[in-house]
Amino acid sequence: MVLEIKGLSKTYPGAAQPALSDVSISVPAGQFLVILGPSGAGKSSLMRCINRLVEPSSGEVVFQKTRITKADLRAVRRQFGMVFQQFNLVKRLSVLTNVLTGRLGYRSVLRSLFYSFPESDKRIAFECLARVNMEHKAFQRADTLSGGEQQRVAIARALAQEPKVILADEPVASLDPKIARQVLGYLRQVAKELGITVLCNLHQVDYAREFGERIVGMSRGSVVFDGAAGDLNEDVLRKIYYDNVTAG
Amino acid sequence: MTTSLLAEEAQRGTQRLTKALLWGSGAAAVLWFTATQIGLNPAALVRGVPFMLDFFGRMFPPDLAHLALLRDATVETVQIAVWGTVIAILLSIPLALLGARNTTPHIVVFHLIRLLLNALRSINELVFALIFVAAVGLGPFAGVLAIALHATGMLAKFCAEEVEGVDRGPVEAMQATGAGRLQVILFGVVPQVVPAFVSYAVYRFDVSIRAATILGLVGAGGLGFSLIKTMKLFQYHQTATCILVIFVLVFISDWLCARIRARIL
Repeated sequence: MVLEIKGLSKTYPGAAQPALSDVSISVPAGQFLVILGPSGAGKSSLMRCINRLVEPSSGEVVFQKTRITKADLRAVRRQFGMVFQQFNLVKRLSVLTNVLTGRLGYRSVLRSLFYSFPESDKRIAFECLARVNMEHKAFQRADTLSGGEQQRVAIARALAQEPKVILADEPVASLDPKIARQVLGYLRQVAKELGITVLCNLHQVDYAREFGERIVGMSRGSVVFDGAAGDLNEDVLRKIYYDNVTAG
Repeated sequence: MTTSLLAEEAQRGTQRLTKALLWGSGAAAVLWFTATQIGLNPAALVRGVPFMLDFFGRMFPPDLAHLALLRDATVETVQIAVWGTVIAILLSIPLALLGARNTTPHIVVFHLIRLLLNALRSINELVFALIFVAAVGLGPFAGVLAIALHATGMLAKFCAEEVEGVDRGPVEAMQATGAGRLQVILFGVVPQVVPAFVSYAVYRFDVSIRAATILGLVGAGGLGFSLIKTMKLFQYHQTATCILVIFVLVFISDWLCARIRARIL
């Protein structure tokens, strides 16, 4: 197991309901795991509790047999590449510089002050861009790209971290179906080539079936299903999507 | 159904009108009261017209021979504005980052910096100039310091608000890479605020030019000194030349800065 989530709970200050309650998932290395659920099911919170962008209320995350703590957050975070719904590229910087920011976790602040990266990092960045077929746009500004292209660059940025795991938080929710499949295809392909484990949040059932080796269904902060895509039947879907709608 | 909605809309319309009338009459009363307090008097203005015409008559025609003498003062005015703005830019970048909620190292630092910036902003350049003339002596250096401090207050406050308004997304993305605090600011925040900051700095330079033209009134260098000197000596033809030069200088600066800002944004 590359990642073991044990009894993870999170209640935000002032919230009546917990965002996560007692979530436990074990992820073997190299798996493409889809976390499926409606908006507000706690999928995003789960990801952010893994790389400690959000501090969990209780429970623990064990990564490569070591418990993740607040100490040495840098070393942990660079092992987790992250891909976001809104791409979150720095719009005014070039595509190449955006990918190079994936190397920041390895570099000193002093050098960053001059927006400078070593040759070896640039080599890594170009290789990562090539993996998502974006190297021909390396010198363009990020905001000149289409949505699908921006997300491919964001995947390259995550790859530049040379991560063990990629956390993809609704990576295709802002893209049209054709481009969405293409982007998920890239994600699956590079993960397979490099042996990276992927946790991918999705809310669309058909993408989950198509891309997920394993699917974890979430509803109202809890895991309500954990199995293969083939076992995702009507009963299960009702549990994930409709049981959380309170009467009336 | 529609009838009752129409009735409700009519009622809301009456409420809007009542509210507008109430606020309007309130504002009018306050304005009238202040007008009597400060002695707004159109009749006095009309009576003053001949005196003004007399004044302008004495200024006309401007003494163009005086232009040559104003050359150095004009250059000095621009130099004061340039250095005042440059120092303000250098000071305001760190102050803005310390004084923005999302980048400050501590909330106490945030409040202290905001207090400092408000103090700097509330003091006019001329007042600063008086202080610095006393401190470093007559001349343009006092003017540079005066402009630098006031502009720092303005520029840093504006920049801090820009920093607070950045898109959280890229910031979160930088945090997720394992970047340190300063790296997150350098790559996630700074690129987002650069265009607005540069544009405002250019605008600040334009304002500084205007301020620098009058700093000479209190002996802090630039064209203002010629302005006050010729007035005190009743050399109104030369005063007119000063005003003309100031007008042209401000006009050119305004035009230039507007063009630069249009290109940035």
